[in-house]
Amino acid sequence: MERDHALSGRETNGLARVPRRGFLSAALVGLLRKTDRIVSGSFVNESDELGHRLRSRGPFRTPAQRERVPVVVVGAGMAGLSAAWRLEKRGFRDFVLLEMEKQAGGVSRWGENEITAFPWGAHYVPVPGPHSLLIRELLADLGVLMDGKWDERHLCFSPQERLFLHGRWQEGIEPELAATARDREQYRRFEERMREFRASGAFTIPMERAGRSPDAALDHVPMGEWLRREGFDSPYLNWYVNYACRDDYGAAAAATSAWAGVHYFASREPDDKGPLTWPEGNGWIARRLASRFKPHIRTGSVVFRIVRESARVRVFTEDVEFVADCVIFAAPTFLAPYVMEDAPPVGGFEYSPWLTANLVVDRPPQDQNSEVAWDNVIYDSPALGYVVATHQSLGTVEGPTVWTFYWALAEGPAPRNRRLLLTTDWAYWKEAILNDLSRAHADIRQRVARIDIMRMGHAMVRPQVGFLSSAERLRAAAANGPVLFAHSDLSGFSIIEEAQYRGVTAADRALARLGGRR
Amino acid sequence: MQVVLFLSVFLIAACGLIYELIAGTLASYLLGDSVLQFSTVIGSYLFAMGIGSALSRYLRRGLVRRFVSIELMVAVVGGFSTALLFVGFAYGEAFRLQLYAVVIAIGILVGLEIPLLMRILEGRFEFRDLVAHVLTFDYLGALGASLLFPIVLVPKLGLVRSAMAFGIVNAAVALWSTFLFRAEVPRAGTLRAGCAMVLALLGAGMVYAGKITAAAENNIYADEVIFARDTRYQRIVLTKWKDDIRLFLSSHLQFSSRDEYRYHEALVHPGLAALPGARRVLVLGGGDGLAVREILKYPGVEEVTLVDLDPEMTHLSSTHPFLRKLNGGSLTERRVHVINADAFPWLEKETGYFDFAVVDFPDPTNHSLGKLYTTAFYRLLAHHLTARGLAAVQSTSPLFARQTYWCIVETMKQAGFEAHPYHAYVPAFGEWGFVLGALSPYRPPAQVPNGLRFLTPITLAQMFDFPSDMGPVPAEPNRLNDQVLVRYYDQEWSAITH
Repeated sequence: MERDHALSGRETNGLARVPRRGFLSAALVGLLRKTDRIVSGSFVNESDELGHRLRSRGPFRTPAQRERVPVVVVGAGMAGLSAAWRLEKRGFRDFVLLEMEKQAGGVSRWGENEITAFPWGAHYVPVPGPHSLLIRELLADLGVLMDGKWDERHLCFSPQERLFLHGRWQEGIEPELAATARDREQYRRFEERMREFRASGAFTIPMERAGRSPDAALDHVPMGEWLRREGFDSPYLNWYVNYACRDDYGAAAAATSAWAGVHYFASREPDDKGPLTWPEGNGWIARRLASRFKPHIRTGSVVFRIVRESARVRVFTEDVEFVADCVIFAAPTFLAPYVMEDAPPVGGFEYSPWLTANLVVDRPPQDQNSEVAWDNVIYDSPALGYVVATHQSLGTVEGPTVWTFYWALAEGPAPRNRRLLLTTDWAYWKEAILNDLSRAHADIRQRVARIDIMRMGHAMVRPQVGFLSSAERLRAAAANGPVLFAHSDLSGFSIIEEAQYRGVTAADRALARLGGRR
Repeated sequence: MQVVLFLSVFLIAACGLIYELIAGTLASYLLGDSVLQFSTVIGSYLFAMGIGSALSRYLRRGLVRRFVSIELMVAVVGGFSTALLFVGFAYGEAFRLQLYAVVIAIGILVGLEIPLLMRILEGRFEFRDLVAHVLTFDYLGALGASLLFPIVLVPKLGLVRSAMAFGIVNAAVALWSTFLFRAEVPRAGTLRAGCAMVLALLGAGMVYAGKITAAAENNIYADEVIFARDTRYQRIVLTKWKDDIRLFLSSHLQFSSRDEYRYHEALVHPGLAALPGARRVLVLGGGDGLAVREILKYPGVEEVTLVDLDPEMTHLSSTHPFLRKLNGGSLTERRVHVINADAFPWLEKETGYFDFAVVDFPDPTNHSLGKLYTTAFYRLLAHHLTARGLAAVQSTSPLFARQTYWCIVETMKQAGFEAHPYHAYVPAFGEWGFVLGALSPYRPPAQVPNGLRFLTPITLAQMFDFPSDMGPVPAEPNRLNDQVLVRYYDQEWSAITH
């Protein structure tokens, strides 16, 4: 109904322009009040104690019960849930899913408060291309893809992304403000190179669809070094690529395999503007799968021992000993040696420590001339920015919300960062987060009521230089036996499509084994 | 004694600089081009100080008394300078003249201060010490003020209150000078009373600063403001000029009582007059009750549901005498149900069906409002219409925002509507566009209700004809994940208004 503008012709004078007014009266009367608020919150979902018990092999209670179950899936993250999804789709229901946490979902876990649901980890699915059949099938099952069309409500609403650069917000994350001709030329050339890589067919999702293992030469070059060799020296482009590596792999470009770095840019062929996202991020998918398999899922079940015995596998939790024909090990692969004797070597598997924080923002910050996007990134920040949980709301009124703040401790060696993560207290990270955000939101300390922080020492596998083409990874991924590995870390990077692929592949192998025996 | 003396120098120097900074800032805010404003304000201020210094030689006797009165004058003129200028900007014509007059007046007075003070202190110190001390504290004061101004004063106090606060400092220095130099001012009673008066005046000013700016702001609207309120969602302002009542929401004109009938007849009748059996009607937006007034002209309509975000808006439309007169008390009519809710989520939960829907939302100025113009929204709307149902959508101006307009048409088509674009001339807005969405074939009605002021069956049919400068242009549909509409709108309207 806004129908005035120049046409009414009756404004007092040309200077009395409206936007300036509000600003003006605020400055004149001094409406801004600045007192620092007390921010509440704590560390949540802590599981490092359990992890340490696993790695020091105990102490654990000996189970009093024994159950016979043909297939045991260890870990109810996206890989384990996908294995269950596949088993059920193929008509097989004799399985249990054992999850050590109180909640299924793994890295796709979610939380909820009186304002909204929010993610604790993975928060989007890039719109799958026409060849990513498995993930399309899953999303069609969940009603996201209907008759070959993506439901608009699950696609990320406009505006999707913005970047805080040179003191203001720009649309999109690729730095553009004050980009030089040289920067633009390198963007163009980089895109051209990625198009060539895409056309080569070597960079697919899931990675195994390419039908060949990653090119060892490219895998042995760090992404940062690859950029240098190719003559890409634009600081903007380097920041952008480094951001992509930190965001998807939790590692700096200098420590990431160039094959993985290229894969990020050359593997996608989305057939709509996305990504797909939900208030609770990929928790939306996890929670639907978890509720579908509720009768099969045992949460709070720590698997502390897996023993192979002739044709059977015994799986020990503190309450029940499961006797299975087949075990799908969908927990992080590095845990295998701590729970089973004949685990393959996993010394080359490195994981990135992460921190996610959910901030209750009860009054939106005052951003002049910029609307809050779904994903909001600050240039040259050590963290990754934040996503807004209420972004997919159909309402028009901005109210209290939750921001999920992501921080991959990407610079430097993972063990050192893991120690930093686990030896510092909540107040340390609260301050670090608020300081980081205050670069873009001067009034952030007045806007945040609560900050809950989740620390993950081994959040996602890191595609270190040479890892993707390593014999160790290839061997673990190919392993076939009564214990089948299924975690996304077998792919060397942690994305939902890989988790799903590994889970589904393990489920198929399990069924093949069972079928062979019966 | 010494420290106290030089402290006054420090304070008056700080005050002097503050007034200068405030004038520069205010001029930049109001006139733009901060480099020009600051340069000319500082230049004329310093020049005026020179005049003050030159004039100081003509003051010969009763120096302390003079000094105190000058301080009081600075307190009043400086303290009220911002309020004065802001009000002047809102009401007056010659803002620049006022600005420089105020700047020069303060400059002259401030220019008098230091020479006078030096002469008062002349006998008490060695000349070289005196000059050194006075100038040191003078410059120190300037430093203090220049730091205090951006960091504390503007954000915490605002310009109006900052000026008054420093007026109080000037007046306090005046008052305390009457004690410091009591030997030189034997009968200080009147002087002190003057100081007290100025202090009280400025104190009151501090308290009422908010009202002063609000009063001035009202005058931004050309006409007399008869109602103004900030609600949770917007600022509602009603103005009146002779027989013309206008409603502004957050400064955007919603209607002028002189020609709103053109807009609302065009919005309602092409659709509703074509649905003789219509019983249930939905209005989204339109909290002024004017579309409902048109709808109630159909006796067959049994139920009108109006969904508007802002309860204060619908309350105002139901109770304010001017608005009630205009909308005929439509919102309190028996057949009308008013619901205050955000339209998209409301429609998502609603299960009822409607024969006719009026969609009268604010223009898509941002991505939040843009959601109300997406394929997802129109699909949901279609789900709430009966098989022969129609929806009329206000769609901004096909003349001034041509691609925006045709984007809305395209979006409705994508959502499954048969779209019938039409337009009408509304003097307050210019050429205005609407889209009628139909789920089954539509033909313009051959009859309209009696007593319309604008539409006849012939004019109604003609509205569907578009002259070539408003005709269809290619546009992408507006979708939640790709709001092209907001981009079109921004480009087209900013091309006109800048």
